Amino acid sequence: MSCPAERRLRKELLELLTNPMPGIYIDEEKVAKNINEWIVTIEGAEKTIYEGETFQLQFSFNEKYPFDSPTVLFIGKIPVHSHIYSNGHICLSILTDDWTPALSVGAVCLSIRSMLSSATKKERPPDDMIYTRTCSKNPKKTKWFFHDDTV
Amino acid sequence: MSSSQTTTVNDPHLDNTTTTNNDTLPNNNSQEPSTSTDSSQYRSSTQYSFKPPPENSKTSTKPDLDDNEEEKRDDSMYVCNICLDIAKESVITMCGHLFCWPCLNCWLETKPQRQLCPVCKAAISKDKVVPLYGRNNEKQQDPRSKKSPPRPQAQRTEPDNSQNYQGFQSFGDAGFHLSFGIGAFPFVFFGSSFNFNDIRQRNGQNGSQFEEDQFLSKVFLWVAIIFFCWLILA
Ligand SMILES: [Zn+2]
Ligand SMILES: [Zn+2]
Repeated sequence: MSCPAERRLRKELLELLTNPMPGIYIDEEKVAKNINEWIVTIEGAEKTIYEGETFQLQFSFNEKYPFDSPTVLFIGKIPVHSHIYSNGHICLSILTDDWTPALSVGAVCLSIRSMLSSATKKERPPDDMIYTRTCSKNPKKTKWFFHDDTV
Repeated sequence: MSSSQTTTVNDPHLDNTTTTNNDTLPNNNSQEPSTSTDSSQYRSSTQYSFKPPPENSKTSTKPDLDDNEEEKRDDSMYVCNICLDIAKESVITMCGHLFCWPCLNCWLETKPQRQLCPVCKAAISKDKVVPLYGRNNEKQQDPRSKKSPPRPQAQRTEPDNSQNYQGFQSFGDAGFHLSFGIGAFPFVFFGSSFNFNDIRQRNGQNGSQFEEDQFLSKVFLWVAIIFFCWLILA
């Protein structure tokens, strides 16, 4: 029997492939190679400031998933947003403190997409320069101080 | 719905009969309920015989595929919110969310200081979850009383995780800043390359201030003692 983390990831993958979510696409080839590393493409929603843009999220899971949260960050072109640092780190509470095992890749994508959709201005976080110079490579090691709970 | 569940749970007699029934169930096909059984057992075994007769089940194996979707939809009600399988050793929280006991227990153990329902974040605890007993569970044993199964408790490989990290260029060094985040913002602002000196300088200042304070308090202490002696002598 495969380990519980893998088993659950396969279930999530199957679910996302059979019932795709709008604006969220999974790189099946990459996932097939390694179930613990996912690349997900997110399309900026219509009628938002990110309309027409696409971004890529990288998910990394460890063997404690879903009890431990996945590591999630943007790679490649990083969306300009007040909660997204220029190195791809995302300031979103469900990725660390507020993670629960009932959340999923789909739920995280959805909430990142809605975080993008709710933005009215394209700007970096005020502490972007300092943070990106001093932070760990792993965003889960940052002690996030969440800007606001509404997003 | 929850009320019906609690009634079955709260009826220990029913549990007992169903467990003993397990042995007699195969006899039902011969439609001769064992005569020695008491009335309650008899009732339950006849109820059982209302269930699909064996002939039907044979013919229904092929159409089963078509029914699969419907079945899936029905089954999805009983899917554990953590492992996404049909819940085993199911328990339900007071907020109405279903889990396998091993799954929920593992979650409670990962965050012992902050026990929240994974679905709705209501406060939960081991004592306040209700075990669910279906009709023909082999053993109607409270899953919480069992030792949690020998789960492969994950090895602590957190640091590994950051090393294995792929597809990422290195940014400065990863060691010293962990506690910085945004909180330490004003300190860091003095210039990135002088971070340490700056903080040390501040610490130095704090240190000398501290010494001064100590000196002053000593002086006052001596003044007080001298004053006290003077009072006594005078
Ligand atoms: Zn489960
Ligand atoms: Zn709940």
